[in-house]
Amino acid sequence: MCLNGYFAAASCGFLKWRARSIALRICWLFALALILLGITAAISPSRSQELIQRPKDTEAIIARGTIRVAITKFDLPAFHWHTSNGGLRGPEIELVRRIGRLLKVGVEFIDDCPTFDSVIDAVDSGRADIGVSKLSQSPSRILHVRFSEPYLVLRQAFLFNRATIGTQAGGRPPEDVLRTFNGAIGVIAKSAYVGFAERNFPDAQIVEMQTWEDSIEALVNNRVDVLYRDEFEIRRVLKSNPALNVRFGSAAFTDDKSYLSFAICASCVRLQQFINYQIADNRVPFTLSGLLASQAAN
Amino acid sequence: MLALSKAINRPSVSISAVVFAIWLGVMNFSFLEYLQPLGDMYVGLMQMCVLPFLLATIPLAMRSALTSGTGGKIMARIVIWLIVTIAVVSIIAILVPRTIFSVMPLDQSVSSRIGALFGASADGVDIEMALNPDLAVSTGSQQTSGLLAFIPTNIFAALSSNDSLRVIIFAAIFGAGMVVSERRSGISVFGALKHIQAVCIMIFEWFNLLVPMGIIALVAPPIAHLGPDVYAVLAPFVYAFFATSVLLLILPIIVISLRLRLVPAFVFGRILNPLTLAIATRNALICAPVALETLKDEIGTSPEPCDLFIPMGFAVIRFGNIVHFATATLFIGYLMGRPFSVLDLVLVAALSIMASFATIGVAGVAGLAPITAVLRPFGLSYELALPLLVIVDPIAGMIRAMLNVALNMPIPVLASRRRVAEVAMVAAPAE
Repeated sequence: MCLNGYFAAASCGFLKWRARSIALRICWLFALALILLGITAAISPSRSQELIQRPKDTEAIIARGTIRVAITKFDLPAFHWHTSNGGLRGPEIELVRRIGRLLKVGVEFIDDCPTFDSVIDAVDSGRADIGVSKLSQSPSRILHVRFSEPYLVLRQAFLFNRATIGTQAGGRPPEDVLRTFNGAIGVIAKSAYVGFAERNFPDAQIVEMQTWEDSIEALVNNRVDVLYRDEFEIRRVLKSNPALNVRFGSAAFTDDKSYLSFAICASCVRLQQFINYQIADNRVPFTLSGLLASQAAN
Repeated sequence: MLALSKAINRPSVSISAVVFAIWLGVMNFSFLEYLQPLGDMYVGLMQMCVLPFLLATIPLAMRSALTSGTGGKIMARIVIWLIVTIAVVSIIAILVPRTIFSVMPLDQSVSSRIGALFGASADGVDIEMALNPDLAVSTGSQQTSGLLAFIPTNIFAALSSNDSLRVIIFAAIFGAGMVVSERRSGISVFGALKHIQAVCIMIFEWFNLLVPMGIIALVAPPIAHLGPDVYAVLAPFVYAFFATSVLLLILPIIVISLRLRLVPAFVFGRILNPLTLAIATRNALICAPVALETLKDEIGTSPEPCDLFIPMGFAVIRFGNIVHFATATLFIGYLMGRPFSVLDLVLVAALSIMASFATIGVAGVAGLAPITAVLRPFGLSYELALPLLVIVDPIAGMIRAMLNVALNMPIPVLASRRRVAEVAMVAAPAE
């Protein structure tokens, strides 16, 4: 009996020790969990902050599932134009859609930009990821957005009144007058050509027109002496209205060119590289002769 | 052979060939494109003996002038009549187109069609220029200019490059030297030169057998190539240039007839040979041997002024270019709405004469470039003019060559002593 009592007491002490040991371990585990939780809680605000502050690039576009593309609300024949059912077509649109397909995202066109500069503004303000609308690279624009490699390089050109330039030349070659032109130059308002005209023809009176059609009308009605734009647009005017050939001549500048590129958000380094690659790999390259011959240009 | 050559080159045959060629061209038969090589071959054959002929003829003419003692007087008369002829041609070349343009008002449809023609022919912009020429890379080669361009520094180079003016200048200087040397040493090679000249004339007569074929092969393809639409679009210019040219082609016939007291129809029949050759070859100098033969042997002009003037005149005095440049300038002014005062018209004439000298030694479309010197003082666009002139140049070139030949021919006739041309008068009834 007494032996039984001894064994019973010993057994009871062992069980108590065992229970205390398990409770202690649970306490340790709980404390460890609390420490880990504390550490996690401590670091999680800085990570979310990092995610918020990290520059927008392809990740954000892919995460969003859509690339937002700013374009002019007016058509640019042979480059992009609205169809009768409200859709968009043209080589620029095709190139953008290809970029969207390869990024595996949808394309959202923001086609409410009333001027070329407003396309740049849309990209600069973050309303759009990229902009495309025959946009020329220019020093002032480069300060606000990135530019892709040019998908087309066009010579800058004049459409000039033959009689006016001939009279001013006074027997000299017309090149001499055009080179230091000091008459009225018509350019599209809020386009890169405003800056080009100010830089290349400081003595000229620069007349900004709302649209290209307004500019042509101003030239025909002698309100300006020359129009300043790229060679494609100058030749397209004469091609679509051959009668103008008699009164107006064309001059292309061999040393001053328009580099037509995509405007890309300032932080989108990888997107810029991605677009550059697609431009280089473009299966249907842009050419001046091809664009002039295209039905859309006429 | 000579009889056969003369028979083939009868005026009736030449006129028939020209009319037939024009008909073929207008009908635009597909086989005409195959005629062009034949025509080129014919021009090549005719050109073959031109420079040897000039090298023989000019020293002989120098000898004749220097030994007869009348060379100075003849030269003076040639210069006077040359100035008179240039003045008359310039006046007509200004007045006729101006009159035609004044009675043909330019409406919008004409302007549109000409603009469309220009647009279709121009492949690119009018002017390609550097805004900063200091940075542009110059690719132009150095070219001799001014009087140095006429000096035959290397006669063999001039011969190999077919530079006829330098060859003529060399032949004149060398001929004078040969005459002086002959007087001093008594040694003469003029007999050999006469033989060379006779050989060249004989070869020309052989090739003259091919004249009708040459006319057809060279006239029909360009007419077919242009098509009637071009003439319709450029109608004001075509009318003005054709009317002026016809008047100026009649002028030498009348002058020669009056001077030599010949029947105009007879003179027309005689000078038709060099004129048809000019139409076919579009090169006045190729016509020089035939023109000399016509003037001396068939019309009966003194040989001295003919030998002295015709080679030099055909190479240097380009009446056709004067008429072409003046008409084209007035036409571009008409297109661009630029009025011309009397002083302007005098200036157009003077500048056209000067520009014609800049075409010496230049053939084809390149010979149109000097018109820039006529257009630019009036603020007219060379860039507009050139493509339009190039379009019609295949035909305008024929007319220019005809005028160069026809208007040079009366000058030695006027400068020579009045001489009754017995040979010609005897030959006249045969026509």
